Amino acid sequence: MSGSLLLQTLILGVLLGGLYALLAAGLTLYFGVMRVVMIAHSAFLILAAYLAWFFHQQTGLDPLLSLAVTVPLFFVVGYLMQRGLISRLRPATLTMMSVLLTFAIALAIEGMLGFLFTGTQRRIQLGYSGSSIEFFGARIAVVKLIAFGLAAAALVALFLLLKMTRFGQALRATIQHPEAARLLGVNTDRIAGFGFGLGLATAAIGGTALALDSTIYPSLHWHWIGPLMAIIVVGGLGSIPGAAAAALLLGVTQSLLQLPLGTTWAQTVFYVALFATLLVRPQGFFGGRLAQRF
Amino acid sequence: MRRTGVATLACLALTALAAGCGLGSGDAASGDDDEIVIGISLPLTGDFSEPGKGVQRGYEAWADYVNANGGLLGKDVRLVILDDQSNADRVASDYERLINQENVDLIFGPFSTRLVVPAAQVAQDYGFLFVEPAGAADEVFEQGFDNLFYAAPAVADDHYNLLAEHILAMPEDQRPQTAAYATMDDPFAQGTAYGLRDKLAAAGIETVVDEVYPPNTTDFSSIAAQIADSDADIVVGGTQYQDAVNLIVSLRQLGYQPDLAAFSTAPTNPEFPEAIGSQTEGIISPTGYTPDATFEENVAFVEHFTEMHGHAPSEDEANAWTTGEVVAAAVEAAECADPSPECQQELIDFLRDATVDTVVGPLSWDPEGRPQSAHLIQQYVDGEIRIVMPSDAAEAELIYPKPAW
Repeated sequence: MSGSLLLQTLILGVLLGGLYALLAAGLTLYFGVMRVVMIAHSAFLILAAYLAWFFHQQTGLDPLLSLAVTVPLFFVVGYLMQRGLISRLRPATLTMMSVLLTFAIALAIEGMLGFLFTGTQRRIQLGYSGSSIEFFGARIAVVKLIAFGLAAAALVALFLLLKMTRFGQALRATIQHPEAARLLGVNTDRIAGFGFGLGLATAAIGGTALALDSTIYPSLHWHWIGPLMAIIVVGGLGSIPGAAAAALLLGVTQSLLQLPLGTTWAQTVFYVALFATLLVRPQGFFGGRLAQRF
Repeated sequence: MRRTGVATLACLALTALAAGCGLGSGDAASGDDDEIVIGISLPLTGDFSEPGKGVQRGYEAWADYVNANGGLLGKDVRLVILDDQSNADRVASDYERLINQENVDLIFGPFSTRLVVPAAQVAQDYGFLFVEPAGAADEVFEQGFDNLFYAAPAVADDHYNLLAEHILAMPEDQRPQTAAYATMDDPFAQGTAYGLRDKLAAAGIETVVDEVYPPNTTDFSSIAAQIADSDADIVVGGTQYQDAVNLIVSLRQLGYQPDLAAFSTAPTNPEFPEAIGSQTEGIISPTGYTPDATFEENVAFVEHFTEMHGHAPSEDEANAWTTGEVVAAAVEAAECADPSPECQQELIDFLRDATVDTVVGPLSWDPEGRPQSAHLIQQYVDGEIRIVMPSDAAEAELIYPKPAW
């Protein structure tokens, strides 16, 4: 195994991990805000990818421009979904029932995509889809770099929003202790709705990033939800920095393991990490004070 | 012998329900003397519904064509098609029902290896000729069936035969020296790539990468990195669709430029050039069927099918039509089409040594039912996928080395 291959694989792993990080951030946010297991997160991701593809196919413009529509749209859909559906579940069985509810939503989205766009596998054909930048003998694909950049920017924005704004404070208060937040005058119901909208907005960004460099089809979301669930458990449920760190680590590990083990076994890294976390440190390795209470 | 026992028992059990049981069924319910009834079970719903419906269109077009041209042995052909829901248990009971209750005169095979094997077993038990349009994986031919014939040019392992011959015939100094293989963990996709790998490796072309990935793989960057790092002269993908597209884009992103790039299935998909763009130039794919082939039978088939459906047929439809042609050739040679063991045996014996002209060219079979022909090799030349091998059917010259992608 040559050094250049190792460097190349490492770079690919970091780029992949960046995308995982953004996608997992949304998923852990739902859980933090509402104790909701959002199986449909990756289905929304594929929906956003399809919207980007459809936008590109209809207008011929760069699919990144579709973000101007999909991000606000997904925020509103997320808010409505939380207020209209998820908040109506009984608190005592919320976590369990949310699995069923969001599973149904995932199936509905998959079915709708199949109905509207057929099962044909689609790919956005871009002028720069094969271009790359030379970096110490390794190559960095432009589309992967853009996807990574989008993910990093969205994560930083999310982090700043949570740390620097009043809304962010209210959201974090809702995550940490909903009752105390309510006593201090935070409208936790509305905040939870916004939190959910924010999570779904990250799916819009992630989906568009995904559409730049993959072939998409309606059932693709099932390949994503497993690794993402594993990442947020390893990172500590509800912890965004934890999810980001775990995503990057597991993304790089998966890429590197493909060299000696091959693709089939490298995939298992997510589940091995999941089992190890549950055995050794069930609250997660990064942050995750929240999960300790469960 | 035990099998026959089981069949007889099943037969006795069903006698109460059906009019007859193999013997003397010629004058039963559907045994009208001016028509030949053909029984088929197809996956019209479930996993294989898309190709299943394609096979159905092919069978129906064939029956329509035969009836419009004087029928078979002067009789009209009627198809009885059941839906097996892509279920292997269901397909066996479907063929039992076709033979025992519907009293069909002949049977045609279903779609896909998983359904062909149980269906062929039933046909074997009742002594029926079993020609099938899909089921190219090795396990179909390793069950010891002596009534089975695969109505397509070649089994998976032989898809690249013409390309292998061409590469091995190259002068030593122009021949590729190293090869990289990436294949999906799937018997059909692997069969195609490994067929070529084994032939090239035996001739001294070194295998430098040999990766297998599970069918759900979507990220091909690491596999591409290994292939690019090996800088192999040729790259071969045992692929289906999205895996080939994602692998090609990943290889381009890494700046890898092979002299020859061959992928199974994907390049013949109409969506492929839309996904890859102008970089398709020089990409090679084996194909079992193309509407452009100039065999006399094919011209008539394409014309009839296009008239019926408004578009040219694809491989599933062509293989179904081929099945019809093969059985028809046997019926005409044996001058019989009834379920009696004598007639069915005559049909089987005829095909054993025959060469039948079909829409995919002349076909003959080995004792296990493997067709002895070869797949056409197609290549993207000037933006269009064209036949480049064999030379007598070629529409364009093979481009080697392939232009940069």
